[in-house]
Amino acid sequence: MGFAGQVVFFILALFAVYSFVMGVLERRRRTLIGQPENRFDRPGERLAGLVTEVLGQRRVLRDPGGGLMHVMIFWGLIVFTLGILQLMLEGLFGVAIPVLGRSPSFYLVTDLAGTAALLGMLISAYRRYVARVPRLDVGNWRQERLIVALIAGICVMILAYFLAWGARLAAAPEPRFALAFAARLAGALFAGTGPAQAMVWHSVFWWMHVALALGFLVFFRYSPLVHPVTAVANVYFRYLGPKGGAIAPLDLEDESRETFGVHRLEDYTWKDLMDGYACTECGRCQSHCPAHLSGKPLSPKWLILHLKEHLEERTRKHAGEAETRKLLGEVVKEDEIWACTTCRSCEEQCPVFNEHIRKIVGLRRAMVLDESDFPGEAQLCFTNMERNYNPWGVGWATRADWAAELEVPQLSEAQEVDYLYWVGCAGSFDDRAKKVAAALVRVLRAAGINFAILGTEEKCCGDSARRLGNEYLFQTLAQENIETLQGYGVKRIVTACPHCFNTLRNEYPQFGGHFEVVHHTQLLDRLLRDGKLKLAAGEALRLTYHDSCYLGRYNDEYEAPRRVLRAVPGIQLVEMPLRRNTAFCCGAGGGRMWLEEHIGERINVVRTGQALAVNPQVIACNCPFCLTMLEDGLKDKGAFETVRAVDVAELVAERLS
Amino acid sequence: MKIVVLLKQTFDTEAKISLDAGGRINRQGVNLIINPYDEYAVEEALRLKEKHGGEVTVVSVGEAQVQDALRQALAMGADKAVLVSPDGVEVDEYSTAVILAKAVARQEYDIVLAGWRAIDDGSAQVAARVAEILGLPMVNMVTKLEVNGGRAVATREIEGGVEVVEVPLPAVITAQKGLNEPRYPSMKGIMQAKKKPLEKLGLSDLGLDPAQAAPKVKILQYFLPAARAAGKILPGEPAEAAAALAKALREEAKVI
Repeated sequence: MGFAGQVVFFILALFAVYSFVMGVLERRRRTLIGQPENRFDRPGERLAGLVTEVLGQRRVLRDPGGGLMHVMIFWGLIVFTLGILQLMLEGLFGVAIPVLGRSPSFYLVTDLAGTAALLGMLISAYRRYVARVPRLDVGNWRQERLIVALIAGICVMILAYFLAWGARLAAAPEPRFALAFAARLAGALFAGTGPAQAMVWHSVFWWMHVALALGFLVFFRYSPLVHPVTAVANVYFRYLGPKGGAIAPLDLEDESRETFGVHRLEDYTWKDLMDGYACTECGRCQSHCPAHLSGKPLSPKWLILHLKEHLEERTRKHAGEAETRKLLGEVVKEDEIWACTTCRSCEEQCPVFNEHIRKIVGLRRAMVLDESDFPGEAQLCFTNMERNYNPWGVGWATRADWAAELEVPQLSEAQEVDYLYWVGCAGSFDDRAKKVAAALVRVLRAAGINFAILGTEEKCCGDSARRLGNEYLFQTLAQENIETLQGYGVKRIVTACPHCFNTLRNEYPQFGGHFEVVHHTQLLDRLLRDGKLKLAAGEALRLTYHDSCYLGRYNDEYEAPRRVLRAVPGIQLVEMPLRRNTAFCCGAGGGRMWLEEHIGERINVVRTGQALAVNPQVIACNCPFCLTMLEDGLKDKGAFETVRAVDVAELVAERLS
Repeated sequence: MKIVVLLKQTFDTEAKISLDAGGRINRQGVNLIINPYDEYAVEEALRLKEKHGGEVTVVSVGEAQVQDALRQALAMGADKAVLVSPDGVEVDEYSTAVILAKAVARQEYDIVLAGWRAIDDGSAQVAARVAEILGLPMVNMVTKLEVNGGRAVATREIEGGVEVVEVPLPAVITAQKGLNEPRYPSMKGIMQAKKKPLEKLGLSDLGLDPAQAAPKVKILQYFLPAARAAGKILPGEPAEAAAALAKALREEAKVI
């Protein structure tokens, strides 16, 4: 290439790199309007995540269709970049990458990679515009034009690459192109063209390719499609703590604070704001969201995207406070804020590790702690928790009444115990859950476990209060409970409620309460395996198991309850399609247990339908809220007389020998 | 507009009522709340203030623990509170009203709000007595209130319907359920409540001597209702069971 050509190339390249760097810096500037948050710790673990999640595409591949497409594009383009480099070097200086640039396999691999990326792009176009995969929410032409431009641009860039090499080898065949199938195929188009003419075509396609390849760096600055860079960053800066402890405590003693919740975008941390840039709108979150799927106005995807739009709007130069919309009520509607069951399915599925739930809890905190504007049922729940330490509002003095007849010892009068049995509000006050508590007492006694309860000293763990945004009430309850537990020197706790389990295990450490907490299904599993529990034969039962969100997705416990069920003689476990980390919420999490469900289908009815579809005699669960919701679902479906919903502990208790 | 709210601290509605060895109501371990009807009054006062501007003062008679209820009202948004200790006098409705009337008279007020009754003793006397002592008109059991230029238009419940009345201010208005939904204090409210003025007075500060506030009613005895007996299911064919039921209602329950 002549000097003039080189100069043109370098000007283009410089502009492209400048645009790209500016694109990164501008996003960084916008993101940094958020609050500080340390996501720079544990670099080893963070890098390891890049290997499995970015290079290994682990989460992406959970959906085989879209996953394979993404792997083709991702790995295709990465390897193809080497080919681009070779083409550019050769065009500019007539040199090749040392060793590689002379190897026929290099051209085979880069051709394969380019073809994979090309096919991947075509599949993506097919998914968007032909198959119209619902979770992609394909928009109208105005909304889609940038995506169409990107897909077309990448396809043409790859084709131009093949054509450039094709023209080159048509002009002067070389052994290094022996395996370059795509370039050879393209070369066939130039058969019969003279060498000089073919080299002209080579130049044309070389420049076309270079212009598009560099053009993407410019496109990056001006388009919203920044996912290839931000996704990697987002995986690196992902949340690494226990999944059930992801809601950060607020400093409520800080009297300099005017507000405690998220009112403005700037109240989020920079990581919350980066989530928007990492999102590529794949919609896996919403296709797993019980609120979205049951017709509520919430979609985790649109939540993230609306926040991203709002970020752009708010950080646009010269955009005054007055010109931008209100975050609460305008950018995110109140019905969206209250629809979330905090089931964590969105976060579990998100390939770029976006954190949706804490964003919603932040908004709820604003509504509760600052605005005092929230559903009346939530207020009743809070008042009940304040006055009687349980969301039902039953007199606190009757908390241990269920245990009196069973003569369950209280810690205040017990000697050394193996476990404190944390009953929870449901086990103490809800008639159905009381039966589960009684069953668990029988089972623990049969296994020779020495345990006691706190009795009337136990207070609500605060799970619902925290998730409904009432951090003040949650912290009050947490501190009082921790004080009581520490006062008795409690070390080990067993509980039959996954909400209590998660709160005591993952959230009380935030306030200095460190206890070894097990869920009752985990303890039952251990007792069965250790031979401490013997079960008798019983009738054959076709049973399906419903994973609760707070035992499953929040604490990764899918196996223990299933092992218990398999250990019960006669039980045939039939699984629902939506199970384990894709289990569909019962609808009661995130404090939704206490709120009316006015919009769309009832989530518990949807879940019950999924359970009934596998035709069980029994639906087993591990959570008092799920139990209530599924029993209501069975009544709604007219199946209450024929199908039983039970807790795992009840099945074990029924079969004690 | 200056608004005064009369407030009583009561047992929580779910509190377990028991008697101590001396036959008196056991206050041990009982959670205390703002009397729910008074809470409607506080809320209405705050709404009036939000609409017309002004100041809300909550006034109560009782011992130190009543401060919690007053702080709660301050957290909801009231501006100041006054707590009068009865100095060990066992108060009845008369004494409470005498003390409250003195405490209110020290304030400037355009309207006095209160719950129509307290959920504990349920005698529904105090607000009316205060109105009488202060010589103010009174509207009881109000479910809707509008204040306009020195007059109040109140909707009140009457048997089988409602009545809309107009009174000149100042007046005493008592709240019935349905008047409003009391707000939940915000964090800011809770924090500010700690710094808002809460005046603690004794009888002498009001120029009262204990004899003037001496109760007129003496409680002779408290007793708990008899425990409810378990229900009974009468077996047999409908005709048989009906006959047995009639017999039981006549001979055992003695109601027919």
